[in-house]
Amino acid sequence: MRLDRILVAANGKDADEEAVKLACDLAKKSKAKVCVVYVIEVKRSLPLDAVIESEIRKAEEVLSRAEDIAADKDYEVETDLIQAREVGPAIVDEARERSVDLILMGVTYKKRFGAFSLGRVIPYVLEEAPCRVLLCREPIS
Amino acid sequence: MKIVIMGCGRVGAQLAGLLDTDGHKVTVLDIDAHSFRRLSPSFGGTALLGDGTDEEMLKKAGIAEADAFVAVTQGDNRNVMAAQIAKHVFNVPKVVCRIYDPLRKDVYEALGLEAISPTTVFAQLLRDKLLAM
Amino acid sequence: MYIIIVGGGSVGYHLCKALLKEGHEVLVLDKDAAKCENFEDELGSVCVRGDGCEVATLAEAGVSRAEVFIAATDEDEDNLVACQVAKHKFGVPRAIARVNNPENENIFKKLGVDCPISVTNLILEHIEEKIPTHPLVHLLSMGEEKMEIVEVKILEGAKSVGKSVNELALPSDSILALLIRNGQKPQVPTADTILQINDRIIALTTTDSEEALQAKLASN
Repeated sequence: MRLDRILVAANGKDADEEAVKLACDLAKKSKAKVCVVYVIEVKRSLPLDAVIESEIRKAEEVLSRAEDIAADKDYEVETDLIQAREVGPAIVDEARERSVDLILMGVTYKKRFGAFSLGRVIPYVLEEAPCRVLLCREPIS
Repeated sequence: MKIVIMGCGRVGAQLAGLLDTDGHKVTVLDIDAHSFRRLSPSFGGTALLGDGTDEEMLKKAGIAEADAFVAVTQGDNRNVMAAQIAKHVFNVPKVVCRIYDPLRKDVYEALGLEAISPTTVFAQLLRDKLLAM
Repeated sequence: MYIIIVGGGSVGYHLCKALLKEGHEVLVLDKDAAKCENFEDELGSVCVRGDGCEVATLAEAGVSRAEVFIAATDEDEDNLVACQVAKHKFGVPRAIARVNNPENENIFKKLGVDCPISVTNLILEHIEEKIPTHPLVHLLSMGEEKMEIVEVKILEGAKSVGKSVNELALPSDSILALLIRNGQKPQVPTADTILQINDRIIALTTTDSEEALQAKLASN
């Protein structure tokens, strides 16, 4: 598959590392542009452009780590911080705006109320994304 | 006392029976005639088919002369609306309503409405029972 | 502005669409998941599933920073409670409620809803305007100040015909703002202005004095 632009949706969990690494590997072949985004979900009790120091700090750490992982693979990635009401729609919107060919997301193996759960974001992106979507689920430790 | 009760569910019917036995003049309102089966055959009050949030219906039920109004339907919001109509439009001296939602009950108590939340009351009763064992 | 609408039915939907177009931030609350999904598909993340009468739901929806709160469900009691909770618990500046049963409009106003809107009454007023024999028509209700702007037609046989404004001894909290007479420019009536048949008067009056004003101006 021809890839020119790849979007990696980071969420601060360990699975981000695999996603960024995979993105770099896939991008190398066609020298595709890779952009790693982190979405801050802003509660409705705050205006959308509210500045939440703790969240911004966390986002910057995550994105900085992504840049380091990419650097280890000898690849340069762009990073972006987005503030939105809901993560899923924000990722899909971003993918559309940037006309990406692929969205990559890391999946943390987690259980909710005793049952395996993909959460809210992944099912949304799988259903609504206009482009290809690749998930990498981390191994069960 | 002349009492108008809105809602002939289990609580409404029981309350009607108790007050009737005590010798008060009771009128019960319900939007479903089937609910009146809960009233005892010896019930001496009046059962009226109608909506307690409708001012005309309340007038028919004798709200103008009522000493007390009780709203105990299944709907918190209907109870709250009827209670406020009884209090602010008809100036009934004693108005009490059931509000299941504890938080909403607080709002209305702050507005001067006498409200009871079975949720809170019952949870507390259960807690006391468990702690006493 | 941040506007919250309770009720994702047709009224809520169209209101939301229109307000978004004007550039406002809108949130719709509805108990039904399917309705929420419809909103999502057409308008994006503007609908959250929840009961707009519950304190917890409204807190999460950020009602405290909303400038306008609109209750547009099918049930008057839900609209009343939602507005009351929004106003008294969260201090929303302006609460608007859809009133399905026109008879409830007064109790809504009395209980603190800034703007109860009864479609039935609105339509009735428009019909009234078209009926030439109906002398007093409401043009605008100013809810907070409990005032009305009304139009009164002076019909043949009205006892105010031929009398000056001064002679009519109108209620003190009514003002005659404008006199519209056929063939003349609209003018502000003075104490000496004599009323004629087919005059149209735009007046400002308190809700309490409306009947008295109508009696003085329009009755036979």
